[in-house]
Amino acid sequence: MKQGIKKIIVKSALYFFILLIVLELVVRVLHLAKDTPSRFLDEHNVEKWIPNQQGYSVTGNRRQNFSEYRINTFGFNSYREFTPTKEKIEVALVGDSFIQGFHQDYYNSIGKKIEHMIPSIEVYEYGYAGYDFADQLHLIHAYKEDFDLIDHVVLGIKFSNDLTRGDYKVMTERLALESPINKLLRKSKLLVYCKSIGILDSPQLLVHQILNIAKPSKVSKSLNEEEIRKEKEKKIQKYIENFESLIGQYGYDMNRNILLLDAKATDPVFMNYLKKNNYKYIDYATYFSTSKKPTTLLYDRHWNDHGRTLIAIAISEYLEVHKN
Amino acid sequence: MIFNSLNFFVFLPVVFLGYWLLFKNKRKSQNIFILIASYFFYGIWDWRFLFLIMASTIVDFIVGQRIYDSDQQKHKKKWLWISILFNISLLGFFKYYNFFIDSWVDFTSILGYQIGSSWTLQIILPVGISFYTFQTMSYSLDIYYKRLVPTKDFIAFSAFVSFFPQLVAGPIERASNLLSQITNTRKFDYTQCTDGMKLIVWGLFKKVVIADAIAPIVDDVFANYMDYPASTLLLGICLFSFQVYSDFSGYSDIAIGTAKLFGIELMSNFKFPNFSRNVAEYWQRWHVSLSTWFRHYVYIPLGGSRVSTMKSIRNISIIFLVSGFWHGANWTFIVWGAIHALFYIPVFLMGRNRIYMNTVVAQNSWLPSIKEVLQIMLTFSLVTFSRIFFRSESITDAFNFIKQLCTNFRFEMYEHPLGYRMIDYFILLGLFTIYEFIIRKDERSPFKFKSKYIRFLMYTIVILAMLLFYDDRIDRSFIYFQF
Repeated sequence: MKQGIKKIIVKSALYFFILLIVLELVVRVLHLAKDTPSRFLDEHNVEKWIPNQQGYSVTGNRRQNFSEYRINTFGFNSYREFTPTKEKIEVALVGDSFIQGFHQDYYNSIGKKIEHMIPSIEVYEYGYAGYDFADQLHLIHAYKEDFDLIDHVVLGIKFSNDLTRGDYKVMTERLALESPINKLLRKSKLLVYCKSIGILDSPQLLVHQILNIAKPSKVSKSLNEEEIRKEKEKKIQKYIENFESLIGQYGYDMNRNILLLDAKATDPVFMNYLKKNNYKYIDYATYFSTSKKPTTLLYDRHWNDHGRTLIAIAISEYLEVHKN
Repeated sequence: MIFNSLNFFVFLPVVFLGYWLLFKNKRKSQNIFILIASYFFYGIWDWRFLFLIMASTIVDFIVGQRIYDSDQQKHKKKWLWISILFNISLLGFFKYYNFFIDSWVDFTSILGYQIGSSWTLQIILPVGISFYTFQTMSYSLDIYYKRLVPTKDFIAFSAFVSFFPQLVAGPIERASNLLSQITNTRKFDYTQCTDGMKLIVWGLFKKVVIADAIAPIVDDVFANYMDYPASTLLLGICLFSFQVYSDFSGYSDIAIGTAKLFGIELMSNFKFPNFSRNVAEYWQRWHVSLSTWFRHYVYIPLGGSRVSTMKSIRNISIIFLVSGFWHGANWTFIVWGAIHALFYIPVFLMGRNRIYMNTVVAQNSWLPSIKEVLQIMLTFSLVTFSRIFFRSESITDAFNFIKQLCTNFRFEMYEHPLGYRMIDYFILLGLFTIYEFIIRKDERSPFKFKSKYIRFLMYTIVILAMLLFYDDRIDRSFIYFQF
């Protein structure tokens, strides 16, 4: 009997191993898994992608969205190299993954669309997944000389998650993705694929539960409506304080900088604050709400081609109106 | 704990190795171990309902012995009724109590009396209650009909009632098959184990790839049927047919495969019902363990087909109505059963209810004949139509669904609620149907290919398909758990 069980275990392990190799091959051949560029921290403590990388971003378990990215010499996903001069009119788009646009072909980005609409300008896209307002202002401050040559700087912000901190600190969690073990794991496309479709979430949760089995579970306190309202007010106040704190530290060019936001998804208190203090902003909410076609990808919350066109229209119209 | 959860795939190897390595050839120890594992398996969901299983076990263990020991027929009958009443009461309270109260309130309101339904209770339906109560009842009934000698081994009997692979959704086993295996020494059999593993993989494929993948479409169509044209409703019911089949037969395959790992052979529950040539054949292939149960313990005692034609029709009607009611405490299931009775009776009257008992479609050829294709399509259409009632929330919904199907007749491209490409599902179901046709002669050997390379290719395709169609947003529970 022991022999039989041994045979079952050995054969199962062997089958499993061969299966993993075959699946790894299939995933590579069909390009089901995304390529992940490497990131680094430059001499100014700015987190960027290592320059000159190219690859494909994949969304969905059956390659529902497939797009090419190209990291330029500056470290951002763009078909352009960033060479600002006094003579040209340049627009910088600074923001998170929505501006970064790994979910689109780099030659069909928001910047490229704006350039189509206003051929006389050059658009530089400084998008990086996870950038919040602190990251954005730190980047502009770190490359002040470059940004001083740029005519318009559009900063994409989401009030709900881009103002959670009042100081810039390097995000070590993101950089930890570049640890040797993570780099090694990324070499397996099958693993990257399984992780992206969520199939590894349950094993990870189970391991986490086992590791924390002895720890007492946190008792969550349920709040009443009044307490929820107070918490919300406190949070809004804190976000506005963070906004002021960051501007206090890095400065903010009221003429050059324009915020790009969705007024419908932004708290009215913050909107009133911006209006009262004469901050320029582009509100793309009306463009999206009047659109008859969907504006986001089906498998992903990022903007689809139509959504990006609307954003490009919103920015171009603003630039055309505020030419002088 | 459900079969398609990670917990189960941690639990299963531990129990498997413990069973064969710690307690090899020790039947009693193996039975104690499997009993503990089964109670753990069930208790993880809700330990309080373990007491119901234990109560059902104790009652039928004692009743079985008493029936056997009684000299007089009236005493045997009395003990049998104790078993039946006890198990039916469990079912009646946990599954049907609110249904009866609500139906009574509705009935009185039709007569003009307004009674508040303050008698309804918040009752949780214990998972598997319809399955294990029928299994324990079959033990007492078999002893009563002198088909079985009661066991004196209480542990073995408890393991029979709560055997975890088939505890929550069958197959509903008869003691003559399962208990006799539990009371005998099991020997480790390499081939049986590998066959079991293959069935588990195939069952998981049916559940994860077919049933779960099309579940969001079916849910969407049935939830918003008033907004959709007939073409979409037709798609919805056809897909539901595939979903319910893949879900339940997938579960049964995993159950049968898991039991094989422990040296136990469970009965087949599904024999490719989608290839049935008439409704009678369909019922010989769909949920076989339940059909067998009703045939043995209801239909035959009522006289079966060995009575007058009218009485036979009555017996058939009873069987289908009870079978419908067994599925759930809702009038929709009763109507579903009634529709099947209406489909079955003409086949019975034409004497065609047993003609396909020992054959499969295209028995001696590669492809089915045109006649067989038409028969299969007709049977599938009838069965699928009946499932409108099976899937709808209420009778009103079911009729409105049919009305919409018959009146809003236009074609419209349907978009997947989660945004996936619909063409993927059509290709998937097409390939699945072709593959099932290829393996149609043996439901217990889904990878029966001589070449080990073809076998390996099939394993790879099946596992790859699980990855390609996995979606963590989909509710992964089994449909038949609600019964």
